[in-house]
Amino acid sequence: MMEYGTFDLKSTPEGDPVVVLRELREFDQVGSAWSDVLNFLKAERPKRLVLDFSRTRAGNSAGVAFFKAVELYCEQNGVELSQNAVPQVLEQLLRLAKSDAGGSAPSRTPLSPIVQIGAFAWDVVEEVHDFIGFVGLFLVRSVKSFLYIRRFRWKEMAYYLQLCGADAMPILALLSFLIGLVIAFQAAVQLRQFGANIYVADLVSLSIVRELGPLLTGVILAGRSGSAFAAEIGTMKVNEEVDALTVMGFDVVGFLALPKIYALVLAGPLLTLFADVMGIIGGIVVGIVGLDLTLRSFMQEAYMILTMPDLISGLMKSIVFALLIALIGCFRGLQTEKGADSVGRQTTSAVVSSLFLIILADAVFTVLFHVFDY
Amino acid sequence: MSSPGEIQSASAHGLDIIKVEEASLGYGENVLLRDMSFNVRSGEIFTVLGGSGCGKSTLLKALIGLLPPVKGSIIVGGEEITGPDSANALRRVRRRIGVLFQSGALLGSLTLGENVALPLEEFTDLPKELVWDIVRFKLQLVGLGRYESFMPSELSGGMKKRAGLARAMALDPEILFCDEPSAGLDPVTAAELDHLLIQLNEALGVTIVVITHELASIDAISHRSLMLDREAHGIIALGETRRLKEESDDPRVQAFFRRQAPREEASR
Repeated sequence: MMEYGTFDLKSTPEGDPVVVLRELREFDQVGSAWSDVLNFLKAERPKRLVLDFSRTRAGNSAGVAFFKAVELYCEQNGVELSQNAVPQVLEQLLRLAKSDAGGSAPSRTPLSPIVQIGAFAWDVVEEVHDFIGFVGLFLVRSVKSFLYIRRFRWKEMAYYLQLCGADAMPILALLSFLIGLVIAFQAAVQLRQFGANIYVADLVSLSIVRELGPLLTGVILAGRSGSAFAAEIGTMKVNEEVDALTVMGFDVVGFLALPKIYALVLAGPLLTLFADVMGIIGGIVVGIVGLDLTLRSFMQEAYMILTMPDLISGLMKSIVFALLIALIGCFRGLQTEKGADSVGRQTTSAVVSSLFLIILADAVFTVLFHVFDY
Repeated sequence: MSSPGEIQSASAHGLDIIKVEEASLGYGENVLLRDMSFNVRSGEIFTVLGGSGCGKSTLLKALIGLLPPVKGSIIVGGEEITGPDSANALRRVRRRIGVLFQSGALLGSLTLGENVALPLEEFTDLPKELVWDIVRFKLQLVGLGRYESFMPSELSGGMKKRAGLARAMALDPEILFCDEPSAGLDPVTAAELDHLLIQLNEALGVTIVVITHELASIDAISHRSLMLDREAHGIIALGETRRLKEESDDPRVQAFFRRQAPREEASR
């Protein structure tokens, strides 16, 4: 009798191999037996095989998988398989496995690459279509909310104004201050060479008020509020709260989305003004500490360069950014399907789509302001 | 050891695999269940019964080590999971138990196959092909053999529960805990799940602890039962299920098994 790692090898009177398995109690023991027996079969290529379980009393699910794997190998390679002293547990489990009446699963044919590209393009078209529909619905509900202004959920709006506006101020203050600081430093290195230190005030004020203030506020709002809207509405959808509102006769967009959108549209320009102030303070710090400017000269220069159109263009941008972020956040939340992973996907998508759209909108604004010389 | 309302019987089942001694359970100051003592015998299907809010799910949480008792001890599979070495004991015990949660609790980002493969890949060194053979066998066992590549979100509630059962059974646990397995299922699907539990109990000798208040399920699967009551803050009956149903003289037990409303409300 030859010995292998997990079984002993005997032979029948006719000379066919008999694999006497030793122990199949633990899953890992079965794993080793599985490798050994299949390797033996591949190396020896016998015509017949006897699996002898007489030395193993235990059986488990791994044993069933092992037995079925050997059976399949023998079937595919024309080996005649017989077994001896199969443990009762193993027999019962094999019987259970054979009694699967699971019905047929819907068929799934893999899509060709061209069909996948087409499906992706169609998904994009459908998304744009759905988003335009959602914007239309928002406009209709907005008109309705102005007509029935006493029924509007003011308390909700105040709550979201606090959440998206006031609560975002500390992080926005820090970021704007640092951005102002960095721009002033970068500019100072160059301007000092020409003795034009004072123009740091012009550069910082203009870039912060026209461009970076609204953009930075938009990024913060997309990360904090757009994602929160998507996650909140998405979770409500998974928990069937949105369905409950619908069957109770509530208008979901009016009830859930409008207070959020209005709050963010109000918070956007207010936060932008705040970011402008903090950014300019960052520039002032560098001006005073690094360039020997006085507060008065810096403020005077900034006052001379900044015009009302600069401020208005920045605020216009911030309103559009906030509107886009809120619309995308609520839209993605309502697109959520079943399951926690869908909430995660839509939240991520809300942030990514918002960032893409605010940068796109910024580019459009820049071109328009240039064309109309604003 | 005897508890209030206990109906003693000779049992064909083995040694005590779960022992709860003088355990009180609750959340912070709010103690829901006081001074409970009972045991579950190896190889039996043991049901925990009681109305809504009586603490059935709290008891389950304590038995699977998610909620330490306020006082008392819980021994699962010979390991005291409430003692000073509870963290290590729990680690050893968790390899030997499976839990079927009420909603199936499948991970939504993984396919059914990957969900079932998870414990096999984590706790064994089996070759990948064998792991997937076991996964297919387990899914076959619960009648989902052809749904291996499906996502949980594509399945019905009953299918999710069956897949949850396949995952709970992945490592052939000695004890299977089921939290309201028939809740929210149609009678036919619920009966199929009950049948599956009986088959697993008979084929593998798994001890099954089922939290339920579905009378049809209790009739079909339960060997012994324990009944909890919200007002009593603990056990009001314990024993062989058939005898509890037929012989208990506790009006609360009878009201439960006969689906009767409390007398005051019924007479209104």
